Amino acid sequence: MMTIILENVPKRLRGELTRWLLEPYPNIFIGHVSARVRDYLWEKCKKECKNGGVIQAWSTNTEQHFALRMEGNTKRSIVNMEGLQLVFIPENTVPTHYTNRNKKS
Amino acid sequence: MQELYGLPKLRDSLSYLYVEHAVIEQAGHAIELWKKDGRTLVPAASLCVLMLGPGTKITHAAVKTLADNGCSMLWTGEEMTKFYAQGMGETRKAYHLLKQAELACDPVKHRRVCIRMYQKRFDEPLDPELTLPQIRGFEGVRVRRAYKKASEAFGVPWHGRAYDRFSWGNSDPINRALSAANATLNSLCHAAIVSGGYSPAIGFVHNGKQLSFVYDVADLYKADLTIPIAFAIVAESKENVERRARMACREKFREVKLLERILPDIDEILEVPPEPLDESKDVDSDPALPTDLWVDLLEESDSPL
Repeated sequence: MMTIILENVPKRLRGELTRWLLEPYPNIFIGHVSARVRDYLWEKCKKECKNGGVIQAWSTNTEQHFALRMEGNTKRSIVNMEGLQLVFIPENTVPTHYTNRNKKS
Repeated sequence: MQELYGLPKLRDSLSYLYVEHAVIEQAGHAIELWKKDGRTLVPAASLCVLMLGPGTKITHAAVKTLADNGCSMLWTGEEMTKFYAQGMGETRKAYHLLKQAELACDPVKHRRVCIRMYQKRFDEPLDPELTLPQIRGFEGVRVRRAYKKASEAFGVPWHGRAYDRFSWGNSDPINRALSAANATLNSLCHAAIVSGGYSPAIGFVHNGKQLSFVYDVADLYKADLTIPIAFAIVAESKENVERRARMACREKFREVKLLERILPDIDEILEVPPEPLDESKDVDSDPALPTDLWVDLLEESDSPL
């Protein structure tokens, strides 16, 4: 099982992906493809995403049973914490207890 | 969603997450790690152990969420080199603990457990008449042999398990790798022990420490898992051995399905039947609920209390 999520990419790429995959929701594609096709689709997305972003997730034999990769301008990113892939959300606003840390009032 | 809390099992979990220099807060029904530039979401219900390193702050709500999800919390030193404190396990029954205490207190049963542990580790028969010091002696020889074997297999020189607890960086890479790998293994064994309702302190081969039983259980896997892992990663490179040892552990533990094995292995060693014997030994839905004992006493007793 593999999923591709597109963010703000040219319409053409979406059209291309529908050749292999289902699009149950706009910009979300799912399907079951071989590792080779998975890499091929990934390269294609990377090349054609322009200023947009692309996320690919697929089942594999890690502890999490899946793996993730992201490319381009995605809102979130992936952090690898000693082998565990987690999702990182960049924020401009940090919680108050963090900014107040070590500050003497 | 309450029923879902019962669904995740230790065997399905992600092994560990080590965090330092972050604020840990509740988010939705899981937790998130705040760092200066943003936050990382952590699926708490599928995590087995959360290790809190230096510079971590955790909110009350986050601790409650982790406890609800049965995720073990450990407070550790830098690179997990020290173990400061633990959170409570998920279990609410005393059945396993009572069984463990019974086996530890009876000298004959105690020795039988030690022999079963030895046989589990080295897969060879042991004279049931052996004394405890003799069993420990046999074990020592076998463990030294495992180090020697791994040293030869990976071409890493071995001068014995020696490290300076007060000067971590001065130890040789292989000893640091072994410590990091063993710390990861210990933390998982600890999580399994508390999650199964056993006591980390009541050990059999190891004795008298707060984590004796953790060392006992971890020893079941050291010769097969952490010793070869440590030698293999030091043979590869001497850089960053602690972190690489932990990552190699995650991979290896998944490969051998360690999380699936620990609890059944403990049950086997302690000869605990997989199901509780009667329903009074079942899990309490509400840990604060008074037990039936008080009601029974009042009803059965003729004398007014």
